[in-house]
Amino acid sequence: MATPTPPGPAHPSRPSRPTRAGFGEWWSERSVIERRLGIGAIAILIGWLLLIAFSSFDLSAVYVAIVFLLLYVPAWDKLPFRIGRVRAGRLVIPVALIVLAVTYPFYFDRLFEVPIFGPFPAVSTGVYMLVYIMMAIGLNVVVGYAGLLDLGYVAFYAIGAYTVAWFASVQFPNHNVHFWAVGVGSNVPGFHISVWFLLIAAGIITAVAGVIIGLPTLRLRGDYLAIVTLGFGEILPQIARNGDDLFGSGFNLTNGPNGITPIDSPGFGSVNYLTGYNSFFTSDRLFYWTALILVLITAFCSWRLRDSRLGRAWIAIREDETAAAAMGVPLMRTKTWAYATGAFFGGVAGAFYASSKSATFPGDFFFNISVFILCMVILGGMGNILGVVLGAAFLAYLDREGLANIGGWLNTHFGPGGSTVQIWSTQIDVPKYEFGIFGIILLVVMLFRPEGLIPSSRRAAEFHEGVADQPLYDVSH
Amino acid sequence: MRKRPILGLLIVAAAVLALVATGCGGKKSSKGNTNTGGGGGGNVTALPASSCQSIYQGSSSPDYLIASDLPLQGSSRTQTVEMTKAIKFVLKQHNFKAGKYNVGYQSCDDSTAQAGKWDSGKCSANAHNYANNKKVIGVIGTFNSGCAEIVIPILNRAPDGPVGMVSPANTYVGLTHGGPGTAAGEPDKYYPNGKRNYIRIVAADDYQGASNAMLAKQLGYKSVFIFNDKEAYGLGVATDFRNAAKKLGLKIAGFTAWDPKASSYEALANKVKQSGADVVYLGGLECENGSKLIKDLRGTLGKDFPLIAPDGFSSFTDTWKNSGGAALGMYISVAGQPNEKLGPAGKKFVKDFGGEIGAEPNPYSAYGAQAMEVMLNAIENSDGTRAKVADNLLHTKVKDGILGTFSINENGDTTSNPVTQYKLLKGGKTTPFKTIIPPASLVKVA
Amino acid sequence: MATEARRQPLIGTRRYRPDVMPIAGGLLVLALLVWLGINLVKTPYDFLEITLIGVTVGAIYALVALGYTLVYGILELINFAHGDVFMLGAMMAATLTVQVFSLHDNEAAGKWIPIVLLCLPIGMLFCGVLNATVERIAYRPLRGAPRLAPLITAIGMSFILQNVGLAWKGANYVPVPNILPRGDVFNVGEADYQWNKLIVLIVTIPVLIGLIFLVQETRQGKAMRATAQDSDAAAMMGINVNRTISFTFLIAGALAGAAGLLYALYVTNVRYDQGFQLGLIAFTSAVLGGIGNLPGAVLGALLIGLIQAFNEGLNWHAPGSDWTQSIVFTVLILILVFRPEGLLGERTPEGG
Repeated sequence: MATPTPPGPAHPSRPSRPTRAGFGEWWSERSVIERRLGIGAIAILIGWLLLIAFSSFDLSAVYVAIVFLLLYVPAWDKLPFRIGRVRAGRLVIPVALIVLAVTYPFYFDRLFEVPIFGPFPAVSTGVYMLVYIMMAIGLNVVVGYAGLLDLGYVAFYAIGAYTVAWFASVQFPNHNVHFWAVGVGSNVPGFHISVWFLLIAAGIITAVAGVIIGLPTLRLRGDYLAIVTLGFGEILPQIARNGDDLFGSGFNLTNGPNGITPIDSPGFGSVNYLTGYNSFFTSDRLFYWTALILVLITAFCSWRLRDSRLGRAWIAIREDETAAAAMGVPLMRTKTWAYATGAFFGGVAGAFYASSKSATFPGDFFFNISVFILCMVILGGMGNILGVVLGAAFLAYLDREGLANIGGWLNTHFGPGGSTVQIWSTQIDVPKYEFGIFGIILLVVMLFRPEGLIPSSRRAAEFHEGVADQPLYDVSH
Repeated sequence: MRKRPILGLLIVAAAVLALVATGCGGKKSSKGNTNTGGGGGGNVTALPASSCQSIYQGSSSPDYLIASDLPLQGSSRTQTVEMTKAIKFVLKQHNFKAGKYNVGYQSCDDSTAQAGKWDSGKCSANAHNYANNKKVIGVIGTFNSGCAEIVIPILNRAPDGPVGMVSPANTYVGLTHGGPGTAAGEPDKYYPNGKRNYIRIVAADDYQGASNAMLAKQLGYKSVFIFNDKEAYGLGVATDFRNAAKKLGLKIAGFTAWDPKASSYEALANKVKQSGADVVYLGGLECENGSKLIKDLRGTLGKDFPLIAPDGFSSFTDTWKNSGGAALGMYISVAGQPNEKLGPAGKKFVKDFGGEIGAEPNPYSAYGAQAMEVMLNAIENSDGTRAKVADNLLHTKVKDGILGTFSINENGDTTSNPVTQYKLLKGGKTTPFKTIIPPASLVKVA
Repeated sequence: MATEARRQPLIGTRRYRPDVMPIAGGLLVLALLVWLGINLVKTPYDFLEITLIGVTVGAIYALVALGYTLVYGILELINFAHGDVFMLGAMMAATLTVQVFSLHDNEAAGKWIPIVLLCLPIGMLFCGVLNATVERIAYRPLRGAPRLAPLITAIGMSFILQNVGLAWKGANYVPVPNILPRGDVFNVGEADYQWNKLIVLIVTIPVLIGLIFLVQETRQGKAMRATAQDSDAAAMMGINVNRTISFTFLIAGALAGAAGLLYALYVTNVRYDQGFQLGLIAFTSAVLGGIGNLPGAVLGALLIGLIQAFNEGLNWHAPGSDWTQSIVFTVLILILVFRPEGLLGERTPEGG
């Protein structure tokens, strides 16, 4: 992490070649920039070959290639300048990525179509991806840092969503409370609190709920905890579903299966997120940028927490609970904090998402969502923020657009009357098998790369060297 | 140490992908207009390909777009895909024109693979797309009432005036008018700018619930046990049925949910037996394990025990097949007239459209087609603004249309509210048992 | 296994179990009994009939719950894929009885009895091999890994099997005709007891007896118990631990196969996602009885079956089927909080 290490043996030569040792030696003697240039050149070469194969071309592809190579080839982290105590070079790539993300709405529709995957995701899909990134970062605190398997994370999403739904809608028409709400007439009944306050409130309420759920259950270990969280994840949506007439009292808490809609949108003064401000600040872009800011804050908090005293306690518990307890780490308090922190992020994300889609329904919260988020954390790399962000973005994209595009591509090329060669004769509904695909991702990642695609080095060591004693009997497979 | 190569490889892979331009068959639109989903051009910007298919248009480029918002994945797929075909069929018949305006059509999907049905996030994203695309002049949809609850208020506050909606399938009462079965604040909360922009050409649940209750009364039953599947539709229609049945003097022996995930309903059937009910009402969907419920009810209460169900059970062959024939003789209602009683326009549509798709059209297709007719008519008589189209929709009058003669009242509800009660025969065949038009006084309390 | 250190109770955790808890738990059970008593007095025949329904459903749960408890006992792993193995077993049974042997409604006894008796071992073998394969692919490579790892592959495997069912039979319910006779065995007042319920018990009980014999009396069963107690020591005593674990999964899968056949015949429809649901209920049963404890799993399953049936069927102040799911999971949470070792289990460190 600390020292910029050269890329490993990522060269394309075939391993069986007798020249391998010679080439490897030569390769490792090159400087970082030379090696990166080499890899870049190979990438362009492969790109050209594929280009010939697909026989079509878009200039935007060149721009993207240039941007990536500019970020990748120069060893930015070697720059000798400092800003305060931080080496300026280490900021180059993160800042560049943030700039690319912020300006995404301006260029996404000018970009080429990726083979098989189709066009780049739309801005509204971007909002969805960012919301799930936030939830994945939250779950990462629980699963990745503290090593507690939470299979009911959707419950926190639900609590956040209902919090904003209660206090920014017409759900309780006997009250008429307005507080900095945007785009709501003052005669509209119900609570209408500004969504900005509600985001924080939802986080806090969800964190409290997390503590309440956690206190009796965190004494349990590992798989028992998993099943109890799963239980809560099933109970809460059922309460939401039955909450239109809770226990026959006639009190309409959640409006039952009809859900709560519409929910007020965030906004400032005359800027209402629902309608947009002008042709520059459109509704989509406002939601996108706000979600991006929330994600950056979440990622920053998560990053700082990991290196804090609390974060180190989480990792100690994850690696060996007994040893951690012996060293004076208060188990219950530390675990509860992990739970509360994860819940907080989940609540904020849920509240923001409910407000952005201006609705919440009990049908939105089912077990598969918990697994969906867990899959993001596992795929990206438990414990590593960048990995989790990429994993979440990719899977959320697959869910919204990717699988449908891939399915369309497969069917047009290999399906009935396929343009390449017909392999199957009826259309295959690829998105239908989404969770089978996620299941395969979980299985394959855990078996072959349990630390995820971009692991934290510490987590990788645990998975490869083990945190427990090796059993005596044969474990080879 | 281990992480660099992977990070590097990821970046290289991205760069490689970046260099390979549009592989998929070279179907490429012009610069800056990539997001048209391939069909655009002219003076309209297409809705994004992420949820909408490419524009269906005639030889001249369209002035305006009509979008349809239906769940095209999951359990309702067969019905909804056929509806989009029916909409295209109508547009083609009109030669892609509404009066002097050229019109294109895009079919948008409000479902996700993950849910296998409509998704609230997708509904909201679609609604924003319609609202922000100036050329979208009207929307056909939605299919699910829950989705309509999201889409209506967003389109109501669209930047360039409220976008008119015609729903061929929403039956939840609170979308257009209040009543005993609706939540507080409905329907006004869906129309924040105070102007109506939504109509539906299908009878709301209160009509169906009331007519079902009248059927139970006319058949001479005294005490009814009501089930719902705890979904928006099922709970709504069951509540409406309960209110109407109470008004008609029937005893409500029980009102409870069935859990679609449960494996057995024998205990529930036993509860019905204890309650002394002489008829059971099934407010919900067949695909929510409704057939198993029928099996267990008839198994415990006797194989001729009377059952009444709304149009959630109207996929007659499925109801027959999945219940293993246990559903024989149950009453299932469908809003509207039976096919043989359709007017000449309806019969012609069933014949022509059936010929085009090569099958007997699904009942919903006629509603999709009628919705498109209504929409095109509203555009034809407008000045090309959204507000005028929405206004025209609220003053719709249809004479001898596909669904017959009807008009739309100030709430956006149809005035034609016959509900046909079918009796299920062997093999999933049906016979229209009775067509009931419930009186307004009864509907009001439902 | 590798968790010897974790078996020791942790310092200071015991103080989180104040003495009010047993009292609260006792009051809860007492209230439950009073409620049942009043219902019994008010509607005795219905109470009897609902009890019989609960026992029948509970018997099917028991077969699945035993699979969870066997696997948990030996590997300390919640085999999330177990419910889906069961679901595929039910689909297999539906295919065999309907498509291969084309049985119909109200089949003659001379025809369905031999076919069902033939389908039973086929289904058991199918699910047993499937379950052992799942273990081989998804769990064995992760023996030394942190406990989180096999749990995650279990979830992954569960989804993969669900999608196998989805691809095989589609997204709708697979209906099965009423092959079993539905005539009454006996009537007590208004309460009836039908043959199809009795047949479920007639199949379940010998299977359970066979399992207990296998675990208690045979060499292989001894190896299973030894491995469950301490796999390292068992390995040193010359027991082939991997083979024993595979065998355990085979047995667990075979039980799920039997349950699948009974489910297909008794419930008469199955869908690709029902296995997971039923698996959770069965797991709850196993926890309720005391995980790792075979009679406990059966007891827990019968109790859960009864709780469900009472909740849905009883008339006097029952929460009703809106809440069944919540009640089952509340039972799970309460039992884990109040008595993590279950009704019949021994105290384990999971409960502290």
